[in-house]
Amino acid sequence: MATATLLSNPVVTVNAVDLSDQCRSLSVSVKATALDATAFGDTSTKRVAGLFDNSVTLELYFSYASNETYATLQGLVGLTTNVTWKPASGATSATNPLATLTGCYLEELPPVFTVGELVTVSVTFLGGVYSVATS
Amino acid sequence: MYLIVNPRIGTPGDPFEPAEGINIDALLAAGFIVPAEGQPRAKQKTKNTSSQE
Repeated sequence: MATATLLSNPVVTVNAVDLSDQCRSLSVSVKATALDATAFGDTSTKRVAGLFDNSVTLELYFSYASNETYATLQGLVGLTTNVTWKPASGATSATNPLATLTGCYLEELPPVFTVGELVTVSVTFLGGVYSVATS
Repeated sequence: MYLIVNPRIGTPGDPFEPAEGINIDALLAAGFIVPAEGQPRAKQKTKNTSSQE
């Protein structure tokens, strides 16, 4: 039976700063790079796991107000930090796990200015160690 | 040790103990936290204007 999750109140932090009220979407990639291990005699390609190449992309409203998006992110460009997220604001549990990307790298901060629209920015944190806590 | 200034980090006035990987310099520069009394302040970034030989 199909199930669905309505994300109405997720929590997102960047460098320990709660940016949930500025964030409108989050996408995660936890990827184990596939290495070719095919050898003579094989009839099909074989793959083994290489290094993990993780990333998380946030779409945020780009507020310049103090202690908002710009203040949080502008000092992180070219550096590493942590990003965390969980489905709801309640206590961390098996049904509300807290995911963390530790030591991920922010390459750029590219805001988009469009007439008549709120300024937004899509930031991607690259690399880092992915972990999930359930308590 | 650091103290929380902004509620986006936690309860203002509470001590802030950064997890591994947290960029303290960025938090200090943006004013989210401050060093606790008796703690040395973070180095200020200054532009080196001296000429290089």
